[in-house]
Amino acid sequence: MKRNDEIGLFSKPLSFKEKTSDMKSMDAIVQQNQVLYCLTCGKCSSVCPITRWEDQVYTSPRLLVEKAVEGDQDAIFQDPLFWSCLACRQCTQLCPSQVDFCGFIRDLRALARSEGLRGTGTHGDIVQTWAQMMTNENINQSRLGWLQDGHAVSPKSDTIYFSGCLPYYEVLFHDMGVEALSIARAAVSIMNLAGIVPHVMPNERCCGHDQLWQGDLSTFGQLAQRNLALFEASGAKQIVTTCPECAYTLKYDYPRHGIEHGLKIIHMSELLADLVDQDQIAVKARPMGEPVTFQDPCRLARHMGIWEEPRAVLTATGYDLVEMQKNKTQALCCGTSCWTACGRVNKQIQTERLTQAKATGAGMLVTACVKCQIHLKCAQKDRMLQDDIDIEIRDMTTLVAESIGFKDSRGEGEE
Amino acid sequence: MEPNHLIVFTCNWHAYRGMEMAGASQLHYDARVLPIRLTCLGRISPGIILKAFEQGALGVLLLGCPSGMCQYESGFAHAEEVVEQARKFLDLLGYAPYRLRLGSVAAEIDQSFAEVVNAFLKDIDLMDVTPNSAAAITAG
Repeated sequence: MKRNDEIGLFSKPLSFKEKTSDMKSMDAIVQQNQVLYCLTCGKCSSVCPITRWEDQVYTSPRLLVEKAVEGDQDAIFQDPLFWSCLACRQCTQLCPSQVDFCGFIRDLRALARSEGLRGTGTHGDIVQTWAQMMTNENINQSRLGWLQDGHAVSPKSDTIYFSGCLPYYEVLFHDMGVEALSIARAAVSIMNLAGIVPHVMPNERCCGHDQLWQGDLSTFGQLAQRNLALFEASGAKQIVTTCPECAYTLKYDYPRHGIEHGLKIIHMSELLADLVDQDQIAVKARPMGEPVTFQDPCRLARHMGIWEEPRAVLTATGYDLVEMQKNKTQALCCGTSCWTACGRVNKQIQTERLTQAKATGAGMLVTACVKCQIHLKCAQKDRMLQDDIDIEIRDMTTLVAESIGFKDSRGEGEE
Repeated sequence: MEPNHLIVFTCNWHAYRGMEMAGASQLHYDARVLPIRLTCLGRISPGIILKAFEQGALGVLLLGCPSGMCQYESGFAHAEEVVEQARKFLDLLGYAPYRLRLGSVAAEIDQSFAEVVNAFLKDIDLMDVTPNSAAAITAG
């Protein structure tokens, strides 16, 4: 399978100004995302994780496309699938006609937003709110409390470590035992090991991924502009992220909206795979051959085409990788996206994925995205299903850091 | 919302009655106060508190029933947890902790509401003018 940049999916750059001031019309969105090419074969609906749990309420991607072809804008905006679509790209990848359903949803949400509509936010809309606060030019965050003794960082570095919303998730999901800042600490330790002294930006903004997919182009654009200014001021040449959504947004969505930073964007799994190639991962005393399974984050596997790298890393770290029935580009999404529309259907998807993980017989589910971890751990709160879905969930970055002997000081920095 | 308001979330019971009491007794309190009535302080979430600051609030004051008198028993305790979490978010975002306070109002005392909001605004004004001299003011 080819990556997005190879097939030229993003060959039509749009300036951000054009998108906000002259909001694209329904016709333009249909044209641009090749919606008219739909053959009504229904392959998209057969793989859509949301449609599968429909209860005469949720409709399917094919029906949504049909409404678009008919030009029935109101019917689309009122469709439950419209705001609950995960943009997991299963449909887009399978479409024989190259209809870009994800792009269609993303652009239409912006149009809906411009008409005052929006999806139901989760967690009291807090993620959206802090992102909006970060658009303020004068905001002065204190987000680096997680750095621990022995971490080498430098503002003059060529490489930026983009920690994203990790400090915020640490606070929001502390009660669920989510590894958030542990990931950031592990990332800096691994980069130090690789001979990279990264720059961690004290006033870094949210990448804007969730705002973009919620249709909030205004907040997305402002965040992107603030980040661009920070990137330019730092003089860095590349950015390493531990979040696939940050990586995808910085790599594809910034240039597509006219934010040309010209930096190389690397996800941590790519960096780790390079280290494995150079034999720099020396595993410290630990029982080898423990069976683990890997949850492919949508943005990493399907959107960016990275699925071999994390597997190579886990194998090199001495784990016995057992695959779930659906893996790599066929992997099931963790069930929720962009902090919008979480409910019964999403819970079913998460439970299904955890059951699949449990069925492999592996003792641990490893993922490379903090959001996969948050959503799957949230589903595990269900006491009725506890025995069916209780599997340890870990992040790849912290697991590797632990394997090479890095000790995390969780709770000291941020408490 | 206009900036520089003090958002006061009151519960429907002691705090809101206390505010009515202050009005009925024709007591003066700062004009920057913008009260929002909730059924119980247990309804509050960090997202709502952050939203107030995002909209330009000078401060956020949560007023509930006096200790041990919460109408729904656990609402005030929940608000305490939320405030603790919201403080961590405010700290990350670079907002001073003294801008968020949790307090209570006794419905039967007419002075209670006006005293609490005026004292909070006085502290905020003092801190905003001389951030260092009033370091002794403790949040909450």
